[in-house]
Amino acid sequence: MTVLIGAVAGSLGAVARYLVSGAIQTRTRSAMPLGTAAVNLVGAFIVGLVIGVDTTPTGWLLAVSGFAAGFTTFSTWMVETARLGLFPRPSARAVVNLVVMTVLGIACIAIGYYVTN
Amino acid sequence: MPDSLLSRIPVAIAAPAAVLAGGVLGSALRAGVGLAIPPSPGAVPVATLAVNVFGSFALGFYLTRRERAVVSRFSLQFWAIGVLGSLTTFSTFSYEVFVLVEAGSMATALVYGFVSTVGGLMAAVVGSRIGEAWR
Repeated sequence: MTVLIGAVAGSLGAVARYLVSGAIQTRTRSAMPLGTAAVNLVGAFIVGLVIGVDTTPTGWLLAVSGFAAGFTTFSTWMVETARLGLFPRPSARAVVNLVVMTVLGIACIAIGYYVTN
Repeated sequence: MPDSLLSRIPVAIAAPAAVLAGGVLGSALRAGVGLAIPPSPGAVPVATLAVNVFGSFALGFYLTRRERAVVSRFSLQFWAIGVLGSLTTFSTFSYEVFVLVEAGSMATALVYGFVSTVGGLMAAVVGSRIGEAWR
């Protein structure tokens, strides 16, 4: 049941990610992968919001392990960071995309948490 | 599905449908790995680490292979955006680092963050190099 609910909620998150990150990426002419950044930070913020409220295990599964996990992506973040240039030395953009996103992701969890708690 | 049949479906429907189908598979796999490797409080979350690093490797491999091979329509939406996008997760990663920091396990949080990001990057690079060398 866990796998089934997680799969359904996660797949809806994936479609939302595809539509939102695609829309942002085509509207912004930046060398930085802003579409992925946006969905990842929004997804982290959603998780923060959910930790701040009392949730049932099913609610957690739907919103956090399901939707938000499917809405955000780690693999695309990694490949896009690598494409910003790692060799012979990591480019400033790659370092920024790695470090700033890591910090902002944790910050978005904290901000969401303090909003609802 | 044969491409002739697939080509009759409008792209605006077929592309998100491919993401949805891939998303079901990727999310189910991630949930399954989560059940197989239960988290232990204060320790590095191995399940998320495993799917994130493996997914980064597989995406690096897929994207370079895709440039060199004939793939079916919506393969990118199914495999890259659907399956591998959903198998891996940024929100759970951030949440787990947050929880470790909150619990005062600063060293574990740093190790987890470092191994995930640097390991994920290396995995993506190795995957793409193997994709280049593949025949």
